[in-house]
Amino acid sequence: MFLLQLKHELWKLFGKKRTYIGFGAFLLAQNAVILMFRFTKATGAIRRALEGGGYPAEAFLTATTIATQVVIPVAFLLLPLYVALVGGDLVAKEAEDGTLRMILARPISRLRLLTLKWLAGALFGISLSLMLGLFGWLFASIWFPQGGLFAIQLESGPAGGFAVFGTAEGAWRYVAAHALLATKAITIMGLAFLFSCFNMKPAAATIVALSVMFVNAILMNIPWFVDYKAWFITHHLNLWQWMFLQSPPRTRMAESLSLLVGFNLTFFAVGAAAFQMRDIKS
Amino acid sequence: MIQLQALRKVFGQRVAVDGFDLRVPRGVVFGLLGHNGAGKSTTIGMLLGQVWPTSGEARVCGHDVFSNRSRALARVGAIFETPVFYDYLTGWRNLEILAGYTGPVAPERIREVVAWVGLTGRDQSPVRTYSHGMRARLALAQALLPAPELLILDEPTNGLDPEGIHEMRETIRRLHAELGLTILLSSHLLSEVQQLCSRITVLHQARKVFDGSLADATRTRNRVRLLTDDFPSAGTALHRDGLITGHEGGEFLTLAEGISPSTVVKRMVELGFPVHAIHREEETLENFYLSLVKNAAQTDPTPVTR
Repeated sequence: MFLLQLKHELWKLFGKKRTYIGFGAFLLAQNAVILMFRFTKATGAIRRALEGGGYPAEAFLTATTIATQVVIPVAFLLLPLYVALVGGDLVAKEAEDGTLRMILARPISRLRLLTLKWLAGALFGISLSLMLGLFGWLFASIWFPQGGLFAIQLESGPAGGFAVFGTAEGAWRYVAAHALLATKAITIMGLAFLFSCFNMKPAAATIVALSVMFVNAILMNIPWFVDYKAWFITHHLNLWQWMFLQSPPRTRMAESLSLLVGFNLTFFAVGAAAFQMRDIKS
Repeated sequence: MIQLQALRKVFGQRVAVDGFDLRVPRGVVFGLLGHNGAGKSTTIGMLLGQVWPTSGEARVCGHDVFSNRSRALARVGAIFETPVFYDYLTGWRNLEILAGYTGPVAPERIREVVAWVGLTGRDQSPVRTYSHGMRARLALAQALLPAPELLILDEPTNGLDPEGIHEMRETIRRLHAELGLTILLSSHLLSEVQQLCSRITVLHQARKVFDGSLADATRTRNRVRLLTDDFPSAGTALHRDGLITGHEGGEFLTLAEGISPSTVVKRMVELGFPVHAIHREEETLENFYLSLVKNAAQTDPTPVTR
């Protein structure tokens, strides 16, 4: 019964055209970045960095490397936007359209309904993250050969060095990073979902969620606050990038992962409490 | 089937429903009447557990709506004033989704209900291609899918053209006659209620001002139609005797308080006037409603129960 209802939620979510805006924008952005790499001299800096470190550039200037370069800006800017859009819609759009009243004329509890909706949103976040990785790699494979992975060490900034991995290691790092990227997608979706449970318009829920994220990112990136970066959710949302470090800090990753689980549970609980108390009126 | 006890809802400073008591027996078509903002939709919201009451109790099918909502609503279908659906999905898929919140539904049952409401052949089209009338029928289909015992209709004819209104009225009659459903019909369209309901409750400014049968509402207590040979003389004589307070139109008498038609007949015979016919005059629901509202506006509306 629960799975049947979840299937119905997914029909609703994936039957809407606006759900695919994110997928469409990703395809465009990925192809634009890959084509820039292919047809400009942008790969020159990567080549110089590799050769300067004593690595053969041809072995690491690959589809996986380019796909990794593509995912970083897309995951930073576009992913939060589209998952927040979907999360903000989940409850507020149904309330705005009036379908929520139709649903709540049925003997389904509000908590169960929210659980279904959150799960549908989470599945969307997972699929978006995985599609981002898959299509990035596929498009990059059209223009670049297969091989190892070169990744800038983002943890210490673009100038802070790079890591290189062999073909198999690089592929698994790439897949694992995208699996962890799903935690970022789910958390931002969950934050927008929280606001969506209040009596507000879907667009407002999306904007408030993104504002919270941007404020976190601004605070985290002020150089004087570097000692406090672990206080900000955006720091933990970057967990996926740590898969590209030569030695991923497993303890810190586990800590961030557990914090994200806590954030998600809190967002859901607050949203559910607000939704439970609301009067649903036309 | 429905039992409300001292139900009250306050939104901020505004009292939306005030101390509403109601009993809707099984098997009736019950009208919930009132002007826009009288508290009808808020009452329905509370009946469905969508609106939390400030105080009071609501029971549906014997179960408390607020503590046992899933049982209370297990055999309830509802339609709201503007039928809304997932426009980008087909009618069939909408039915599957909405019915799925009650429980799994067999395709045969969906097919049966689609045929009952007359949507066969259009159920695989996206709802965005449906006319308003078709949406109303789809709304009815989704309400019927869980095989309800109670159907709650909140302004179901809103936005329908005259043909659609007629069709909806006939459908409600069929639902009652063929399926034996108890129907709670909320409306401000008095003619609809008069044609469909056997019992009514009137809400005015959040309070109940009438609760009783439609027959009681449309029967005037003191106005009778009298057929006699010399109506003006008879009227004058009856007025002189204090049996009536007025006579008009060549055949209508207004009885004095406590005087029955039989007393009038007896006096007429004593005075030698022939009585060809005498009967109480029926009032339209519209006149009854307007007089109720007028009285309620003049005085503190004390609920009337007949």
